[in-house]
Amino acid sequence: MQKENILEMNGIRKRFGSVVALDDVSLSLTRGEIHGLLGGNGAGKTTLMNVLYGLYRADGGSIAVAGKPIDIRSPKDAIDGGIGMVHQQFLQVNRFTVAENIVLGTPLQNQLGLNLTAEKEKIRELGDRFGLPVEPDKAINSLPMGIRQRVEILKALYRGVKILVLDEPTTNLTPQEVDALFSSLRTMVQAGLTVVFITHKLREVLEVCDRITVLRHGRTVLTLNREEASEEAFIKGMVGDDLDVEQSIQFTDSNLATQVAPNSDTAVLQATTLTVGSDAVPEINRCSLSVFEGEIVGIAGVAGNGQLELAESLLGLRPIVGGEVVLNGRNIQNLSTRDLLSDGVAYIPEDRWQDGFLAKANVAQNLILGLHRREPYSNGRFLNWSQIFQQCTNLIQEFSIKTQGPTDTAGNLSGGNIQRVMLARAFSQPVSFLIAHNPTRGLDIPSMEFIYRQILRRQEDGMATLLISENMDELFLLSNRIVAICNGEVMGELSRDQFDRYELGRMMSGVKQSA
Amino acid sequence: MRSRPLTQTVQQRSKILTQIGPYLAAVLAAFVVVGILLLLMGFNPLRAFQTILFTSFRTRNNFIQTWLKFIPLVFMALAFTIPAKGGKFNIGGEGQLIMGAVGAAVVGILWADAPAFILLPLVLLAGIAAGAFWAFIPAILLYRFNIHEILSTVLLNFVSFSVIDYVATEIWPDPLAGHPTTTPIGAGGNLPLLISSPPLHSGLLIALFVALAVYIYTERTSAGYELVATGANPRAAAVFGINTKVLFLLALVLGGAMAGLGGAVEVAGVHHRLIEGLQSNFLALGIIIGLISKGNHAVLPFVALFIAILEVGASAMQRTLAIPVEMVFIVEALILIFVLLSDVVRKDS
Repeated sequence: MQKENILEMNGIRKRFGSVVALDDVSLSLTRGEIHGLLGGNGAGKTTLMNVLYGLYRADGGSIAVAGKPIDIRSPKDAIDGGIGMVHQQFLQVNRFTVAENIVLGTPLQNQLGLNLTAEKEKIRELGDRFGLPVEPDKAINSLPMGIRQRVEILKALYRGVKILVLDEPTTNLTPQEVDALFSSLRTMVQAGLTVVFITHKLREVLEVCDRITVLRHGRTVLTLNREEASEEAFIKGMVGDDLDVEQSIQFTDSNLATQVAPNSDTAVLQATTLTVGSDAVPEINRCSLSVFEGEIVGIAGVAGNGQLELAESLLGLRPIVGGEVVLNGRNIQNLSTRDLLSDGVAYIPEDRWQDGFLAKANVAQNLILGLHRREPYSNGRFLNWSQIFQQCTNLIQEFSIKTQGPTDTAGNLSGGNIQRVMLARAFSQPVSFLIAHNPTRGLDIPSMEFIYRQILRRQEDGMATLLISENMDELFLLSNRIVAICNGEVMGELSRDQFDRYELGRMMSGVKQSA
Repeated sequence: MRSRPLTQTVQQRSKILTQIGPYLAAVLAAFVVVGILLLLMGFNPLRAFQTILFTSFRTRNNFIQTWLKFIPLVFMALAFTIPAKGGKFNIGGEGQLIMGAVGAAVVGILWADAPAFILLPLVLLAGIAAGAFWAFIPAILLYRFNIHEILSTVLLNFVSFSVIDYVATEIWPDPLAGHPTTTPIGAGGNLPLLISSPPLHSGLLIALFVALAVYIYTERTSAGYELVATGANPRAAAVFGINTKVLFLLALVLGGAMAGLGGAVEVAGVHHRLIEGLQSNFLALGIIIGLISKGNHAVLPFVALFIAILEVGASAMQRTLAIPVEMVFIVEALILIFVLLSDVVRKDS
């Protein structure tokens, strides 16, 4: 079969202020392939596809579909040109049904009666053909993320797109759902569609893609066929000189010798039948959990299954309505957040921008948040600014925070640097217990590496860690044990020698571990 | 507090320059715009500006008038900036000032015979308490029922107008005055004078002391840091152990106490009685000063002094050049707009 190029993007440039997001990027898609767009966070993958989908205007370069130049000024132009995109954040109307969400904005058969019989039939037919079954009359907000994603894909297929772009589609899926998605993608390309699969997970592109383009720092590094290339070539392409791959713990298993089983039997955290929320609608339901000294316990779960509530109840931010939590030998029921923080508990919140960061304040004010009544920053009443500046200057160096200095406005920092501030703050005092919630979300590969190393270093000193993460690779990499939760309930637990993606996936989707 | 390292000082010096630049530009731009307006209206803008800017320094009397204006402006600006540091908007400084004045007058009249060392502190404390109470009402409404403080503080201003009217016309009216006024408070309640002719009362020292204390509180103490952190991001502050709800309450009440003290100082220092209308236009000016100083309590007194100079110049301008005082209010508002604009411009560049 003659392979023709269905899409050509040539010399695409895009700047945001002084930041060059895309610098002369080219991409070509062959009809009927799954094309992986691989790169760390901030590499420019999503920006490139947003240009293609008409959400951004490129500063330079050209786009041609099936050999014909096309000027894409809006998503409507893109859809008319046969290009569809599924974003990480779904754009859906919660109260509408599946069918209503899909047909929204398209011409209807029956304009006046608004009965969607013909449309529903078409949706069912599309779903059957591509292995994306949905029930058109279900309300969107009653569906799990995997199904909502199907709806999003169907939305594009319904509009008859030829090229479908999926931005990090596996983020909120269990391994089983990922498998189902991949087989649907296969069906689609066999039917003649072309799929662009954006991800930062190497394992996934190797599993499903036919060809792979690697981006780094807004430039095309390489494009290779799946069969032609070794895993190492892609890793080198992704990280370049930013990271010494040989020494990295993310890509070289043997470097994980540091991940030893803790030899302590002192429980730092001991939660027994912890219940949070109301009795009728518990957010955390009779959850029992322990973390020992020097141990990293992972919490696996699909987003929104009680992770935030768990973290916040352990920090005294949410009332505990049942059960008991003993931390460092003390029952936390009557302890305030302030007491817990000064007792050596550190927190890296998931939503760093909202829950951990003072954008309007300066870097120093951010680094002392929560520690502002303690030595060396304060004698309890008065702040010691000269000490604060000195300590913060040290922290900025130790954690390689890119900033002009302690008095720089914090809002100027980039995402990765904000996370370094969170980490520097957490580790600037002795820590006995760390709660880290998605600590590397949205970070580039070297920053992830940095954060893993920092956590592992403290682990050697005996720090106990509760690592709540939606990134399964991260959990497998760092954890001694993984506890799976679903709907705020513990579904089961795996120790390091039992780690298995599918077993974990089953538990995350609500199947209790068989004894 | 030890001195900072040298590099820090140098860094700060250049920072101060870059901070002051936009202010000067904003003042200049405001005068240019108003100058054009004055030209179009057929006045001589240069003479007008001369009057506005230099009246305060022409005579001894004008100079003291300026400082008398400065005192309530400092209190009213603090009444706005302290809650603003914590992210809350107190637009009720006017009512809090009036209630502070009422509280001071009530105590001053009831215990008119008490000696100064008892009566004066009581008068001032009554002002603080009454102002704080007037701010406590919106604060508790916010704390308990989540009622937005902008609305409740503004509305309480109107209630206070009726309170001062009632006290000045029904309870202790002065029949000889042609305007709602009470009888004088006891002589022991009067603030001692720093200069006797023309009179400058010692409220100036109180204002400067309070401004310094607030600066130390917000910039140098752990408690003040909590207020700043809450104002920057209440959610993050709460996650890291700060009781933000109580801080909102405290910040509003502290603001009310500032305005209340301002009212008491007006009674004890200037009028020696309660006079309807003693709040003048201090509310708006206080907010303008607070906004121009952008929460920086080190520059707030200087901004207040500058606005006081403009205000004194404004009345002189009306007297001698027949230019309406409102032109100066336009200048002040334009300065504020240009200062805020310079922020936007800097953010974009």
